[in-house]
Amino acid sequence: MMSSPVKSQLDGVTMPLDHPPTATDNLQRLLNNRPPVTRCPWLGELRQRGLALASEQTIPTARDEEWRFTDLSALLNTQFEAVQEPLVSPNPSELTTDYLANTIRLVFVDGHYASHLSDVSGLPNQLIVTSFSQLTPDQYPLLQNYLGKQTGNEEVFTALNMACLVDGALIWLPPNAIVPCPIHLLFISSAFASPLAAYPRCLLVAQSGSQVTLVEEYKSLGAGVQFTNGVTEIWMDDQSMVTHVRVQRQNNQAIHIGKTAVSQGQNTTYQSVSVGLGGVLGRHNVEVVQVGEQSQTLLYGLNVSGEQQVIDTHTSITFTRPHGTSQQLQKAIAGDRSHTIFNGKLVVPKAAQLTDASQLNRTLLVSPKARVDTKPQLEIVADNVKCTHGATVSQLDGEEIFYLQSRGLPIPYARQLLVDAFTTEIISHIPLPQLGASLNQAIRQRVNHPM
Amino acid sequence: MSSSVQTLVNRPYKYGFVTDIESDTIPKGLNEDVVRLISAKKNEPQFMVDFRLRAYRQWLTMDSPTWPTVTYPPINYQDIVYYSAPKPKEKLKSLDQVDPTLLETFEKLGIPLTEQKRLTNVAVDAIFDSVSVATTFKEKLAEQGIIFCSISEALHHHPQLIEQYLGRVVPIADNYFAALNSAVFSDGSFVYIPKNTHCPMELSTYFRINNGESGQFERTLIVAESGSFVSYLEGCTAPMYDSNQLHAAVVELVALDNAEIKYATVQNWYAGDANGKGGIYNFVTKRGLCQGANSKISWTQVETGSAITWKYPSCVLVGDHSVGEFYSVALTNHYQQADTGTKMIHVGKNTRSTIISKGISVGHSNNSYRGLVKIGPKADGARNYSQCDSMLIGDNAGANTFPYIQVQNQTGKVEHEASTSKIGEDQLFYFQQRGISLEDAASMMISGFCRDVFNKLPMEFAVEADRLLSLKLEGSVG
Amino acid sequence: MTIIDESDVILSVKDLTAEVDGIPILKGLNLEIKRGEIHAIMGPNGSGKSTFSKVLAGHPAYGVTGGTITFLGEDLLALEPQERAISGLFLAFQYPLEIPGVSNLDFLRVAYNSRLKAQGKPELDALDFDDLVRGKLDIVKMDPSFLTRSVNEGFSGGEKKRNEILQMALLEPKLAILDETDSGLDIDALKIVANGVNQLTTPDKAVLMITHYQRLLDYIIPDYVHVMESGRILTTGGKELALELESRGYDWIRDNELVGVAE
Repeated sequence: MMSSPVKSQLDGVTMPLDHPPTATDNLQRLLNNRPPVTRCPWLGELRQRGLALASEQTIPTARDEEWRFTDLSALLNTQFEAVQEPLVSPNPSELTTDYLANTIRLVFVDGHYASHLSDVSGLPNQLIVTSFSQLTPDQYPLLQNYLGKQTGNEEVFTALNMACLVDGALIWLPPNAIVPCPIHLLFISSAFASPLAAYPRCLLVAQSGSQVTLVEEYKSLGAGVQFTNGVTEIWMDDQSMVTHVRVQRQNNQAIHIGKTAVSQGQNTTYQSVSVGLGGVLGRHNVEVVQVGEQSQTLLYGLNVSGEQQVIDTHTSITFTRPHGTSQQLQKAIAGDRSHTIFNGKLVVPKAAQLTDASQLNRTLLVSPKARVDTKPQLEIVADNVKCTHGATVSQLDGEEIFYLQSRGLPIPYARQLLVDAFTTEIISHIPLPQLGASLNQAIRQRVNHPM
Repeated sequence: MSSSVQTLVNRPYKYGFVTDIESDTIPKGLNEDVVRLISAKKNEPQFMVDFRLRAYRQWLTMDSPTWPTVTYPPINYQDIVYYSAPKPKEKLKSLDQVDPTLLETFEKLGIPLTEQKRLTNVAVDAIFDSVSVATTFKEKLAEQGIIFCSISEALHHHPQLIEQYLGRVVPIADNYFAALNSAVFSDGSFVYIPKNTHCPMELSTYFRINNGESGQFERTLIVAESGSFVSYLEGCTAPMYDSNQLHAAVVELVALDNAEIKYATVQNWYAGDANGKGGIYNFVTKRGLCQGANSKISWTQVETGSAITWKYPSCVLVGDHSVGEFYSVALTNHYQQADTGTKMIHVGKNTRSTIISKGISVGHSNNSYRGLVKIGPKADGARNYSQCDSMLIGDNAGANTFPYIQVQNQTGKVEHEASTSKIGEDQLFYFQQRGISLEDAASMMISGFCRDVFNKLPMEFAVEADRLLSLKLEGSVG
Repeated sequence: MTIIDESDVILSVKDLTAEVDGIPILKGLNLEIKRGEIHAIMGPNGSGKSTFSKVLAGHPAYGVTGGTITFLGEDLLALEPQERAISGLFLAFQYPLEIPGVSNLDFLRVAYNSRLKAQGKPELDALDFDDLVRGKLDIVKMDPSFLTRSVNEGFSGGEKKRNEILQMALLEPKLAILDETDSGLDIDALKIVANGVNQLTTPDKAVLMITHYQRLLDYIIPDYVHVMESGRILTTGGKELALELESRGYDWIRDNELVGVAE
């Protein structure tokens, strides 16, 4: 219905709206407003591919199984402007936090690289940690086989990110490189006068035997509405190990839709700790594919929601070869009128014999109006496998609170202690103690506030 | 011997015979006139005609569900016979006047109906294609005020009860197949247990599809008044045809204060042959309403038949402290597909539900558990425990688990566990080393796997269910 | 099935070779066991001891590539695993399997009745069997509550091994093979298990113990000790050989062997 008028708008002219927005309109509006690519012209082809994939689609509705419980109306009802050039230049003191002191750091503001905030000094030789815009032409081909090559590009927000790509972070580990300190990626979204859309991207290529800890963090500048649509691709060659900490703490008006796509070669270990705190809507899709034998996937996740936030994690682990293992612990705390969502899929096709996969999902409801939708899901076509999953939903245990009270603790403190115990199981897997402490503090504030 | 687990060689389906009987069959196809004709044949009251037509018009606006993980070619609803009944010789006065061919058929199926031979502790309503042919112990039950008869009969003798409850638990617009059933259902059983009455015997309906071109659309309604109890069992078989027959039933249960309904199903519709040809499409809507405080509804099902199964026997727990239970064993073999599970909708306070589901997938079959546990905002203190286990035999079978958990009340508590296991070569070897054959070993392991559910079946049916599973698996290992 | 009774030989293994996943493990093994004898096979890890026990029992993962095994006059290799069991060969597993959902009592009864059925004898009903099995519990000092639990599920290491010996007591094998039965046992459990085996050993039966350590042999005294290495039996002696091995280690045998070859 929209196809012909829309096509003519693709060259950047925004037509005034003469009817209420629909899912189609809004996706097209985002595509029409996509930022021009200036510093990385070689991304043009990829953007075209993304554009083609996204143009065929609409913003999902509750009729799409993957979005059944996630209300995207906030995205439909707002008109976002893309950021052509970074509009703000944050003061480094606003951003640097003590837990970043000894890290290699790349900072992006609204999707654009901010060199004055970044610090890549002390990089070991052969290691590439830079932004796409800093690459030299002889380095472009490095990316050809990796960037945008994970499966699942046709997913609407992955395609949208690809269509709107302007820059990104590249981490390139040569064989057997062991990075001594964490690499920190900070994606800042600014929100001031008008709602802005940003499309951050990260590509990590870990060649055989390499090891790294990656910290990917999303933050807001300003308190207004913003749309962040990020994609992180992680490629792991044989024997590599990646520890991936992902923290999403944008402001409570932000719409964050992010994706992590991981491809694991033989004998690799991917461990992820993902914490979701921010956004009126915070969605994280995790798609791990074990393409090599004997790989190990460890996913730890924690979402904490308050006010009217919707925080949503969808994960899928696909085993394609024998002897794969996975362990997943996904937790959520929902307070106020917030809504927490989890969908965890384990896919074990016939070729993936001797898979051993376990998944546990635990949700704590800490307010009468909070709600949860969760679906741990198994799809299995191999007979020689061991797969388990479990899910629990409950409130804080009255008996436990009473026990602590009887030992002299006031109720709020008792609750605090139990909430801490609940979150520690996830936070303790973050290898940076100061980051963990900072998150603990943020979680306490959020959970305590309504109680 | 590389692998102990091999393709299945099934024992022939012993219920696959066809009864040669003269039938009153209407032409294929569906339209408003057919709906009216079905109603007219049964001489139904006006409210029933209206009900059917409303449902039919609703159905026309609906689409068949696409979300189950089953695949089948589109069904041509104009190629189905919607009414087929054995021609009565004359008006029946008693069971002894039932056509001997029919009595023979049911006897062959293990359901003797005559006074001399009938099961002593089970009252049976026998349904052949579109109509009920006999109901045993009707009079004896009536002495206690219990109504157990075909739904057609109930429409004549107890129209007010039918009008009050029909479509109450499963509204006509509930889903595509429920709408279709509401428009064209031909017969089924009606049970009414009066206040404070404990039904003295098992009630049972036996469904038989005979006509190769007819669909079966039965409707069951059970109403348990305050303080009453009933245990009900349904069984089903069909002849072997190369084509697929549609079975779209609706079952509605209503339990008032302190009432309890136990509903068990041993479903053994023809499943198609080893290559997936033929078999019944079993698209069924079953739902119980725990309307009263402290009421309880429990569903137990042993599903071994049908080419495709699509059913989710559910409980809507409205009454405070009401209890819903679902115990299921679903075995699929060859090219069978099952997408089955339950919905537990907690509305009232302190409502409790338990789900135990055991899926066994063999051959090229696909077996999915799909369930919903919903704790509504007012369901303070609601509890659910779910356990969904899958067992895979052979590496071409699929097992999926889709449990939806939705909680909108912080005092609700939900626990869900699921596991997938297999009958492993080393375990089989351990049995063999103790002198136990592979088939005995597999059968013992499967019985063990299903024990939690079999324990919930009435004794005689538990034995039957166990035997049914062993038969189904004969030759599947070794 | 015919049992050739004139011979005292229960098991005769000649030039046996076998492989797992295409890798040769047994490389020409010879062994003869007569009625009333207790044999022990010792050897370092990877020498093929456990493979030998699995081959005797007919585990599907182990392929016999050459040689013969005669059991009570019959070609053992022609029999299915359950036929071997029924004709009197019993393997006490090193790692007894857990069978969730199947009660120990049912498992034992079906095993017992399978043998009766094969012999054309009437099977025992549940009540008679219950009496029979309760009478045997004392042999391994087992509590009756073990009967109602799932086979080996949640059993401790010692309980699993005792359960194996209980099965042996019921099935009365002609040849009992104890595969590393002492592994994972504390001294009290070891005594119970050994005591059970000794009670069950009669002059018409034989026992083959497979063990890495000498410890078990303090309680079940072998008539012959065989030392296995690289898939063959290197040397055979009396019970004193085990003591020698314990004090001097397996390298001692290897050195002897080399000397022997040199001569």
